[in-house]
Amino acid sequence: MGPGVQSSLDQQALGDPRDAGLEELAAFVERRTPLRVLVRAVAAIRASVHTKLLAAFMIVTLLFIAMAVVSLQTIAIATRQGQLLDEAHELVSLAQQGESALARQMHYTDMALLSQDEVAIAKILRENNQFNDRLAKLEAAGTADPKLVEQVRASQDEAMAVVADIANAIRDRRLGAVTGALLHRQERLDTEITMRVGLLVAAQQNRMAKLRDSVAATNRRSLTLTTVFAVVAVIFAMLCGFIISWSFILPVREAQGFLDKVAAGDFAARISVPNRDEFGTLAARMNHMSAELQRFDAEQRRAAGELGRLNLQLAQTSKAKSEFLANMSHELRTPMNAILGFTEMLIDGLYGEVPGELKEPLTDIQLNGRHLLRLINDVLDLSKIEAGRMELALGEYSVREIVDIVHVSLRSLAAEKGLDFTISVPDDLPVAYGDSGRLTQCLMNLAGNALKFTRVGKVEIGVAVIGPDVVFRVADTGIGIAPEDIEHVFTEFRQADTTVTREFGGTGLGLSITSKFVQMHGGRIWVESEFGKGSTFYFAVPLRAGGEAT
Amino acid sequence: MSEQTILYIEDNEYNRKIVRRLLSRTSYRLVEAVDGESGVAMAQQQLPQLILMDVQLPKMSGLDATQLLKADQRTAHIPIIVITSFALSGDREKASAAGADSYLAKPYSPRELLALVQKFLPET
Repeated sequence: MGPGVQSSLDQQALGDPRDAGLEELAAFVERRTPLRVLVRAVAAIRASVHTKLLAAFMIVTLLFIAMAVVSLQTIAIATRQGQLLDEAHELVSLAQQGESALARQMHYTDMALLSQDEVAIAKILRENNQFNDRLAKLEAAGTADPKLVEQVRASQDEAMAVVADIANAIRDRRLGAVTGALLHRQERLDTEITMRVGLLVAAQQNRMAKLRDSVAATNRRSLTLTTVFAVVAVIFAMLCGFIISWSFILPVREAQGFLDKVAAGDFAARISVPNRDEFGTLAARMNHMSAELQRFDAEQRRAAGELGRLNLQLAQTSKAKSEFLANMSHELRTPMNAILGFTEMLIDGLYGEVPGELKEPLTDIQLNGRHLLRLINDVLDLSKIEAGRMELALGEYSVREIVDIVHVSLRSLAAEKGLDFTISVPDDLPVAYGDSGRLTQCLMNLAGNALKFTRVGKVEIGVAVIGPDVVFRVADTGIGIAPEDIEHVFTEFRQADTTVTREFGGTGLGLSITSKFVQMHGGRIWVESEFGKGSTFYFAVPLRAGGEAT
Repeated sequence: MSEQTILYIEDNEYNRKIVRRLLSRTSYRLVEAVDGESGVAMAQQQLPQLILMDVQLPKMSGLDATQLLKADQRTAHIPIIVITSFALSGDREKASAAGADSYLAKPYSPRELLALVQKFLPET
């Protein structure tokens, strides 16, 4: 499975939040549109994400406040227009009231002329007062044409003069004589004033109509303005939100792509975002990380390559060493075989009767030859162990048999030195599993050492099964080991004291080899010793080595 | 056919000398070969009663020679004692896998070798 496949699987496992809709939107934003320019420009603003978000919310809030202000203003304008319309209406009403009062004034004047009644005069004056009151109000409102008002006033003065004449004529009871003339004047005035007041009323009505039209137009304009402003504000707010959110989404998407690449092992990947906010910092850190990873990767590859080459070299060297050892094993043992063979046959008299004085040197040759062979074997064993080429030949074995072999082999040596050499093995030991040859070698080494380093007293081999292990014990009453030397006894080429080597001989390899064989069995070896009084070596190996079941 | 022939295949002159001397006081007839190939040829030709086979031999290894002789109908019945200097783990297994009847690790004592020979081929 390649890294790419692995990575896409990982994405599935993480639940990739990217869906088709968002992908389309992202493609749209990333196209070279003004929107992209805006998004990148906002991203490039040198401000923190917090500040940018705050600014965006402030802009939206200000837009809503502005919308509220515009709406309130529209309402205020509408209210004022309504008031103006009410006023205009009132003025029209005033003008009409004045017109009615005038009509009644003229009617009563006609009545006074015809009925010659003074009561009518009072009514004329009342209506005239009414008319004057309305006219004064119209004039105060400042909406009437002052010239027209002046003309109306002049006509009214004349009309009142006619009324005065009528009143005098009635009082002087000569109305009949002047009726014709007065009637004529009155009719002329009536027509004139009615026409002029009519003009006044029409002017007010006209004004109101115009005002109504203007109010309607203003209201329409306000509504349009408010609507347009609201729509623009909403669009602007959405755009603002869109831009600010995409200025954050884009770097996050970039980071996602970048991290995918890095996860797939592309450490040369770099992230590029226009942001100069936390995302920009994050991108810079990611690039730093990826550069470091790239460096580490290159370094690691170089090191691995070098290691590989070195390893190959080592393997070749090791193979050469092993071959050398195998050859040496043969080359060294072959002449030893001849030397020991000839010596033995000489001693056995195969070449004729051996003169008495030659028996001792022949035996010495044989002893030293055997010693040399042991040394060669030890060095070869250890080399083989170190080269990792030593393998255990595992099989079933009897613990008692091992102890017996060692006991029998060394019994004569113990007897020569006058040492008490005993074994203590329980009768009910189960069949064990391991390399009996190597374990025999281990016990032989320990017991051989014990006999070698003991001048007087005894050497005892003991065995006990403790838990899953079989524990071998070799106790002596020899020279012992100084406490400061105990930790070195299992190290190769280290004998506690060089003077010891001179007196007792040995290569210092036996304990080291023993320790390695015990370890290969999954066991452990240790020693308890009292300097000058003796040592007890133990080694414990699993009863069934290599996890082999019974 | 009262004579009992032993074929000793060994390239080392001194080892051959030892065995020659060792068997000189017995009734066995000793024939010698110095490499694997001539050893096999001699075995097939002389059909000895016992073969002592060294492992490290020129031209053909003792294990290969053993395998060859054990595969040959004419020689398959002849007991073969393999003598090796590789007294290491696994060599005994390799020897018996090749068909060897016994195994003696170098350096051996001449007494041991004689005892083993007499075990496989009692003197008449």
